[in-house]
Amino acid sequence: MVFEFKLPDIGEGIAEGEIVKWLVKPGDAVREDQAVVEVMTDKATVEIPAPRAGRILELKAAEGATVPIGTVIFTLEEGAGAAAAPAAPAAPAAPKAETAKPAAPAAKAPAAPAAPARDAVITPSAPAATIKAAPVSASGKVLAVPSARAAARELGVDLQQVPGSGRHGLVRKQDVQAFAERGPSAPAAAPAASAPRSFAPVQIERTTSETRVAFRGVRKKIAEAMTRSKYTATHFTVVEEVDVTQLLALREKAKALGAEQGIKVTLTPFFMRAAASALQLYPQLNSMLDEAAQEIVTYGHVHLGIATDTPQGLIVPVVRDVPAKGLLQLSAELQDLAERTRGGKIKPEELKGSTFTITNAGAIGGILATPIINFPEVAIMGVHRVMERPAIVDGELVERKFMNFSLSVDHRLVDGADACRFLVHVKRLLEEPGLLAL
Amino acid sequence: MAGQAVLSVLREDGVVQGQEPEIAPDTLLHAYRTMVLTRHLDERAMRLQRAGRIGFTVPNKGVEAVQIGSAAALRASDWIFPSYRDFGMALYHGVPVEQMLHGMFCNGLDNSRGRQMPVHYSFADPIRFVSISSPIGTHIPQAVGAARAAQQRGEDTAFLTSFGDGGTSSLGFHSGLVFAGVWKSPVIFLCQNNGWAISCPADKQTGSDGFAVKGEGYGVPGVQVDGNDFLAMYSAVRTAVARARSGGGPTLIEAITMRMGGHSSSDDPTKYVPAAMLESWAKKDPIVRFEKYLRRRGLLDDAQAQAALSAAEAQVAAAVEAAEKAPLPATETIFSDVYAEVPPSLRKQGRDYFDLMSRHGEAAAGDGAFPL
Ligand SMILES: Cc1ncc(C[n+]2csc(CCOP(=O)(O)OP(=O)(O)O)c2C)c(N)n1
Ligand SMILES: [Mg+2]
Repeated sequence: MVFEFKLPDIGEGIAEGEIVKWLVKPGDAVREDQAVVEVMTDKATVEIPAPRAGRILELKAAEGATVPIGTVIFTLEEGAGAAAAPAAPAAPAAPKAETAKPAAPAAKAPAAPAAPARDAVITPSAPAATIKAAPVSASGKVLAVPSARAAARELGVDLQQVPGSGRHGLVRKQDVQAFAERGPSAPAAAPAASAPRSFAPVQIERTTSETRVAFRGVRKKIAEAMTRSKYTATHFTVVEEVDVTQLLALREKAKALGAEQGIKVTLTPFFMRAAASALQLYPQLNSMLDEAAQEIVTYGHVHLGIATDTPQGLIVPVVRDVPAKGLLQLSAELQDLAERTRGGKIKPEELKGSTFTITNAGAIGGILATPIINFPEVAIMGVHRVMERPAIVDGELVERKFMNFSLSVDHRLVDGADACRFLVHVKRLLEEPGLLAL
Repeated sequence: MAGQAVLSVLREDGVVQGQEPEIAPDTLLHAYRTMVLTRHLDERAMRLQRAGRIGFTVPNKGVEAVQIGSAAALRASDWIFPSYRDFGMALYHGVPVEQMLHGMFCNGLDNSRGRQMPVHYSFADPIRFVSISSPIGTHIPQAVGAARAAQQRGEDTAFLTSFGDGGTSSLGFHSGLVFAGVWKSPVIFLCQNNGWAISCPADKQTGSDGFAVKGEGYGVPGVQVDGNDFLAMYSAVRTAVARARSGGGPTLIEAITMRMGGHSSSDDPTKYVPAAMLESWAKKDPIVRFEKYLRRRGLLDDAQAQAALSAAEAQVAAAVEAAEKAPLPATETIFSDVYAEVPPSLRKQGRDYFDLMSRHGEAAAGDGAFPL
């Protein structure tokens, strides 16, 4: 009788294993418990023994191949009398790197021109009903393996809509990935970069007093980037109150100095220098997660994205190598970038490569916000309105000026304590702005 | 207590260097055979796991003398509150290998119907081997509580609870020793210092000089024993058991040994256990040492040693075959054996479950027919 050996889960909850080395070849007789193959998993490299005696018929996975748990990796003819079994050809060549690459990150801060090709994908033409709903348990929960649930959360996919390929329609991880790539209805041609969509669109009644414009261009890019960030990064926000009385006084002096050189000095370069200093101290906030490579990337450089409000919407130009630049130089660069951004003359490459973002809506208003991370960065600092408030300084009730600073981090990579430390450092520099020269 | 010598009886070459305990030759041979069986079962279980035939196992290679030496000093009427590596203790007292294999295969003949984690055995007979708990240290105060009950009933039963070097950092260790110290409970606290708590080395587990000294703070005398020396382990536990039975109170025994395998079948110890450390401990192998002693005494020869191994192999092979063939637990056992009277909420869950299963074509004839 032919026995098919399926790669077992040799750890607790292992998904796949790499065939390191075959210790037998087709035609070999093996005893029960004899080691036949070395397999490497995320937990260990182990020798896998034959569960029964017989003769090896076929090795079905090549050395170097990574195979999911449950894959038949060899067959054997059971029993001692299996001698005559003809040897099958040796293991197949290692399959090409195949596994579906995660969708390319959505453009972070897109250039103004719209990308019309993408819009087609989003057109909500396919009613959800055309999709065979996944089976649900008595409690109404879709039957899915945990890794599929995790993937669905990560990709923003609604499990209810994913056709499952497992037993009884059980949804597996690859089903979710395929679904996210394909979209609910669009055929395989859909570009992988489109933001994953899952919910059937809500029906919006038409009224007599409304205007409608096409949802595309920068607005759509922003929506995609925000959705991706919000559904991928595990946002955690911490807020600090900063006494900016001294900073505002210093800025008045700097303003005068800048004016002599034709440079407009705002508060932003001070915030940039403070953030750059903190990023050098806490580089975990100057990092990204390379999901495809499963590696955490930490940058040696600090390029700051400055979220900017434009008539077209939010755009994030990038100032490079901030730690190497003084306040006046930063001011000059910012002024130039801001003008060109608002005028729509910014070059696409000037919107790329930031490692951390500052968003300053405080000039408009609002005492607090929970900023959304400029994905795939892992942190963003929000700067909020200046408020005059009474304060106790050295036992005296005095009038001081305060600003709130918020910091959202991706809790997957950045611990809450480090986020707090970062913000405390920023506060320290800004309350004693002489320290910014350090 | 710090600075006290480690109790040892046998040298590595099997020569007696300390106080040799008096043990009947039959008992010695039974202990030897149990050690051989324990090791073989352990190795076999790992291969079964690697072939995907069972889900999980916990290696105990290297600690056989701790387990069998301790078990040999207990009566069958005593209680063991074991840790997850201690199946050798149960084997010594005659729990059938097959019963353990049923547990490994989580089949319908398993006495916990496949509901416990594999290898987390419990046996009421022939020894009181209380269900192994995965959470570290929780069984230590349970042992003390049971011992307290025996004290109040005026029994002379001894209670042995076994845990690791890592287990001493648990709350349960603290609570257990506090109460046992105050109540003078008949408990033997057996700390198996096997060098590791998963990947955490014993020297990072505590700032104290070993683990036995910890007893002092609780008023519980502590002693360090060579855990790879069957005779030393037997002596130490026997002394502690005698103290316990006579109202003298608890003892903390630190058995110094080495976990020669991984933490569990999910672990890769080559990532953190230095090879040189394994090599030096391999020279102290408890079974080899004990075997040398038995041969010196003329109690064991080649043929008997071979027979012990063959018997172990045959016993385990037969048990594997039986356990692998045995049916899985009947589905309804998910809902039985827990409550004397099944509560309505569970009854409903049971009905929903069988509805679902029959819709998916998985319910077997008769399933769901039981009176939920
Ligand atoms: C309360 C608790 N914390 C953590 C764990 C995870 N865990 C399982 S075994 C183990 C190590 C225990 O080491 P030790 O007590 O030395 O026993 P050994 O495994 O060496 O026999 C840990 C941390 C657990 N089971 N329970
Ligand atoms: Mg340990």
